[in-house]
Amino acid sequence: MRAGDKKSYVLKRLFSGLLAFFLSLTLSFLLLRSLPGDYMTDLLLEVGRYAPPELVAAFKHEVGLDLPLPEQFLLYLIGILKGNWGHSFEYGLPVFTLIREKLYWTLILLLPSTFISLILGIGLGACSGWKNGSKTDALLLHFLVFVRAVPSYCWGFAGIFIFSFQLSLLPPGGYASLPGTENPSLFRHALLPGLTLAFGALPGTYYLMRNSMLKTLGEDYILAARARGFSELRILFGHALPNSLLPVLTQASLHCAHILAGSVFIETVFSWPGLGLLTFNALEAHDLPLLQGIFLIDTLLVITANLTADLLYPLIDPRIREGLN
Amino acid sequence: MFQKPQTFQIFHMCRKKTFSAALALLFFYLLLALFAPWAAPYDPTEINGNPCRAPDSEHLLGTNDFGQDIFSRLLWGSRATLLFGFLGTFISTGLGTGLGVLTGYLGGRTDRFISGCMDVLMSIPQLPLLLVLSIYLKPGLYLICIFMGLLGSLQQARIIRAKALSVSTENFVYAAKALGLSDFHIMGRYILPSVFPLTLVKFLFGAQHYMLLGVGLSFLGIGDPKLVDWGQMLHQAYSAGGFALGMWNWIFPPCFAMIGLSLSLSLLGYSLEPWLSPQLRHEGKSFSPLF
Repeated sequence: MRAGDKKSYVLKRLFSGLLAFFLSLTLSFLLLRSLPGDYMTDLLLEVGRYAPPELVAAFKHEVGLDLPLPEQFLLYLIGILKGNWGHSFEYGLPVFTLIREKLYWTLILLLPSTFISLILGIGLGACSGWKNGSKTDALLLHFLVFVRAVPSYCWGFAGIFIFSFQLSLLPPGGYASLPGTENPSLFRHALLPGLTLAFGALPGTYYLMRNSMLKTLGEDYILAARARGFSELRILFGHALPNSLLPVLTQASLHCAHILAGSVFIETVFSWPGLGLLTFNALEAHDLPLLQGIFLIDTLLVITANLTADLLYPLIDPRIREGLN
Repeated sequence: MFQKPQTFQIFHMCRKKTFSAALALLFFYLLLALFAPWAAPYDPTEINGNPCRAPDSEHLLGTNDFGQDIFSRLLWGSRATLLFGFLGTFISTGLGTGLGVLTGYLGGRTDRFISGCMDVLMSIPQLPLLLVLSIYLKPGLYLICIFMGLLGSLQQARIIRAKALSVSTENFVYAAKALGLSDFHIMGRYILPSVFPLTLVKFLFGAQHYMLLGVGLSFLGIGDPKLVDWGQMLHQAYSAGGFALGMWNWIFPPCFAMIGLSLSLSLLGYSLEPWLSPQLRHEGKSFSPLF
């Protein structure tokens, strides 16, 4: 890829990311407006029946419900940008406040497990690809096919069954023990859900790395390195590994999105007080504004992760960096 | 390239055995789903015993918190679960293949436009979107399958498009064009058969994916609460505090049933891959992951 191509590629991705966010906003606006009835009928179910029509009209004017739809949409967009994401039905709090609070807990879990699964997946995938066709490869491959076939929440059930019920080593859920022992127990509470999350995301990275390694090993420069008589270790760490890492690292954003989606299930299973459990509760309570807020924040996170990967690419790949300069 | 031939042979043989075993398992599930009304000892929605009974000869897997027989629910649940998988993947691979062949073969402005739209749509995370939509539309089984299939077809289309694009530059396609055949004829008779192996493999992996996704959505409590499927069983077990009570006979049966089905579908997909695409067989690149 040439420098100009790369620049226009990043710009294109930026544009498509923004467009996707705009689309999500439009969708949630339209869905909210397409619900039967409006804010007035809901709010003034008792009061509105007795209120004089002028008062109702005045209230509608005050809230902005009498404006034409495009203008309402514009106000909605400005509200979103200002951090006014609506109020949760169930919690009675601003959606933005709720999400900000829960996001912290999700990130505590999400970042370490993304890191763990990336490192492990790259290691195992590289090993498997390097020794393609060997017993190690077959064993790893079959094991990870199995891991992938089992949904992450089943691994969560298994973890709770083994480590909490049979061995009584780790707590089955929650985030802290009774008051007085709060601080040291956070790690113990986070251990099981974090590892489950990482374990569920492991096969994705593994396959990608293994495939990338296989492709790299077929390249001419590997053959050239062998012909020059380099040691196998030098070929692995000096030639094969750095080149096969690239596609895996660019896909790290997809990986992040994958883990974020998985966290809904894992947090529910382990009663971890993050965005995932909030989603589950919002679904149970049919809390529309909250669910929309979560949808928007998820979209934002995924788009940001995508863009970060695009921008990091030249930093990792010297060929593109030199092209840019 | 740098392969040891002997090990690869064993590897290959093993995969053939895997294929037959996976197929047999899938047939077993299909038969169970088909004959659920006769195989199940009780009505899955009726209360026919004390609640929370441990497994015994009368109730093979015990009863849930309402007193419904878990074994019967498991058998009946296989129907909805299989439907999730196969209907979902049918829609997504069908639509994805159509779109992929169209954009990959036609190229030019049509391709740029449709691919651009798909890129934008694919940046939206799918699961949260599914959750939001499901709350608005209060969907039943079929609507959930349609949603999943529509959203999933984007990814399929991208993969099929790449394949169709490479096929379109082959000589036989140029020859067909030189003969003056119409675009639709070329797409139907030349491009579609070339991408078909890929489509078949994607169909199987899709069946696994949508089965798990559908069960996952029911586990989160989405969809018709009266419908019996494995995710709904897990949801009920979770809501009734199955963990705190240690009621593992509520949780493990649907889990194991799901794992078996999921394994059979994915092994079928993996074992078909080298058989259907000869370039994989020749290069000895086993199991190229396609997702």
